[in-house]
Amino acid sequence: MAEDAGASGSNNDGGGSSSNIIKEQDRLLPIANVGRIMKQILPPNAKISKEAKETMQECVSEFISFVTGEASDKCKTERRKTVNGDDVCWALATLGFDDYAEPLKRYLFKYREFEGDKVAANQGQGIVDHDNNIEDSNLDRY
Amino acid sequence: MAEDEAVDPILPEFPTARVKKIMKLDKDINKVNSEALLLISCSTNLFLQFLAEKSAEVATANKKKTVKLDHLRTAVKRHRPASDFLLDSLPIPAESTQSAARSVTDRDRSRPVSNKPAPAGTRRIDHFFRKPENEAPIS
Repeated sequence: MAEDAGASGSNNDGGGSSSNIIKEQDRLLPIANVGRIMKQILPPNAKISKEAKETMQECVSEFISFVTGEASDKCKTERRKTVNGDDVCWALATLGFDDYAEPLKRYLFKYREFEGDKVAANQGQGIVDHDNNIEDSNLDRY
Repeated sequence: MAEDEAVDPILPEFPTARVKKIMKLDKDINKVNSEALLLISCSTNLFLQFLAEKSAEVATANKKKTVKLDHLRTAVKRHRPASDFLLDSLPIPAESTQSAARSVTDRDRSRPVSNKPAPAGTRRIDHFFRKPENEAPIS
């Protein structure tokens, strides 16, 4: 009769199974990164079982989904479409990760300053800073 | 406490494209700006470091050099925000699956009855299950 009937035990060997594998890899952060960060934290002679490393991969992916979901819900409530850095900070604090929220807020502040400087530098060496008039008068002296 | 400035604990070490893909697995997520992506990467990094540290503490307390899944599980249980969303995703403990498998196979296999003689006045249980030779099968 049908040839497929007997092959129910094995996974389909066509494109179906390969697309499932790709999805699995995309769902997780690279195990090399995970392992490296763990090694930095653990004492030098410590080892990590493969199972523990793989479970760590799952845990961090869950963390990402968890925090992002909370931040996204906030956006929806406020009728915004784009999740921004403040939403993530809020989500972290709400979910009980206040220890992260504070240093990350400072980090975000520095990042914004840094990005702002980069933008200013890229705009050329001319008079860039419209707000700070003191600089203009400095330039006048030379 | 001197901070090691060479290795910034906050700096994201994960490929941003992959982090973004994971975020977008949730169909409800529309757009994510670069700051959000950065902070998610950073906080994930911090979280991983935290889990690693706590798991290592459990392993050390158990006098083990290799951090195993059980150590990770204990570390997760002890941290309330993490336990809320993580306990369900951790794989079933290996010991319970093994014992469950064992009991299933034991049930499936008929246990050989010992050859010890039954105590006086009693009958062996397999006596009840032996088909009497004289009786006709029930149709």
